[in-house]
Amino acid sequence: MKKTLILLYAAVTVALMIWGFYQAIYVAPSDAMQGEISHIFYYHVPNAMLAFLFFAVSLLGSIGFLSFRRSHPERAQISDAWALAGAEVGVIFCTVVLTTGPLWGRRAWGIWWTWDARLTTTLVLWLIYVSYLLLRRFAAGPQVQTLAAVLGIFGALDVPIVYMSNRWWRTQHPAPVFGGGPDSGIKDPAMLAAFGWNVLAWAAWGIFVLLLRYFVERKHQLNAEAEAQEELEANA
Amino acid sequence: MTRALWTHLVKDLRIEWRSKEAINSMLFFALLVVVLFSLAFDPRGSFAQQISGGVLSVATMFASVSALNQAWAREIRHQVLDAQRMTPAPGAELFLAKVIANFLFVMIVQIVLAPVFMVMYNLRIGGQPWQLLLVLPLGTWALVANGTFFAALSIRSRNRELLLPLILFPIFMPALLAMVQATTAILTGESDPTLWIKLLVGYDIIFTTVSLLLFEVVLHAE
Amino acid sequence: MDPATQIDHQFVVAAYIITWTLQLGYLAWLGLKWRAEKRSADRRLHSR
Repeated sequence: MKKTLILLYAAVTVALMIWGFYQAIYVAPSDAMQGEISHIFYYHVPNAMLAFLFFAVSLLGSIGFLSFRRSHPERAQISDAWALAGAEVGVIFCTVVLTTGPLWGRRAWGIWWTWDARLTTTLVLWLIYVSYLLLRRFAAGPQVQTLAAVLGIFGALDVPIVYMSNRWWRTQHPAPVFGGGPDSGIKDPAMLAAFGWNVLAWAAWGIFVLLLRYFVERKHQLNAEAEAQEELEANA
Repeated sequence: MTRALWTHLVKDLRIEWRSKEAINSMLFFALLVVVLFSLAFDPRGSFAQQISGGVLSVATMFASVSALNQAWAREIRHQVLDAQRMTPAPGAELFLAKVIANFLFVMIVQIVLAPVFMVMYNLRIGGQPWQLLLVLPLGTWALVANGTFFAALSIRSRNRELLLPLILFPIFMPALLAMVQATTAILTGESDPTLWIKLLVGYDIIFTTVSLLLFEVVLHAE
Repeated sequence: MDPATQIDHQFVVAAYIITWTLQLGYLAWLGLKWRAEKRSADRRLHSR
């Protein structure tokens, strides 16, 4: 039963991705000003939205872990698995954003990169969560989860500060802003539809991958616990 | 100041005073960075004024990391952390004492380095000099407070020396931006550093508070 | 297609390929990880 559901979900995801691709490339018209390059938008922006969502999941996981550490150990482990899954999948989606963005920017606005609030914040967010993953890989000892959770909270705390500081910086030294100003928006219904479909498709994909990562981590935790238990019993 | 805080602080200051190893290595490292940047960017005239804020901040960052890597080394070697865990005194006081001690060391380095730096870069202060006395300590506090905290986080990792800057620098970036912008504003006199000073104050308050609250967690996780 | 649009098109293709490489690559890596965990669990169950 479970296997069928998973396969069904995977099939729906693949279908959505194909439909989204078709919408983005063949149905949505090219932007009047930007031209052909605007089609990157339909992959770039959904990935950005989802990256932020998954980083938020990671933050909640970190908070959950620290809260449940003493009272509900199993709930803490589950939270930690979410923290790791959210961070890793978030980094993947964020990498997509940071690589497709410059390709878009170079053709649409003539520059690969600029240090405006949005881009800088996204880059720093990426750096913070990569450092989080590095801590988890390199820190040894039984308390990696606690330390990682603390770092996760610190990192998340920093993000709004990065955004604000960069906004102020750009008030003093105006610089190009990627993605247009406040009154640019999608007005063409065909574009809106393509965007909507791709948000749905990437959300389906992202959630699928997130769940997979979560379950792999849970499996890993349970394996490690069982091994530790065996060691204890062997030595008893 | 409570007794535990004072004891820890005096201990760190006294040990450093005897060996001066942290201050000496920091001083030399910072000087090297300043010279390296001179070779890389050839600071002249108004260009030097523009980049000196950045150079000073980055020099401080690299120099501090070399000291912060060793911040908890003595405590680990002599099982001080275990002893601390057994006492009723809050771990936050040990943390705060270490931050204050490292803060003083880095400030000493900056005070010694500043005249040398001003000479090498032919700097003139276009704005209000007294504001530098606000900006540099605030920025340094941000670096040292977060750095000491993350040094405690990475104690047990294999690549401790490598990991500390990797997790410290991303989070430190807004404070770095503020420090650089404020210093440049003061040196060139071209803009108002008040906003950046406020940002630094806010950053310091937020992260010092969170560090103090979470240090106990980290201490017992080691 | 004029040359500018051609380059635009190439950039779009590159962006989509990069996206897919990253996403599918990660999925593949996850699959390997899943298999490794499953094997480790099975090994333990059978060795008892």
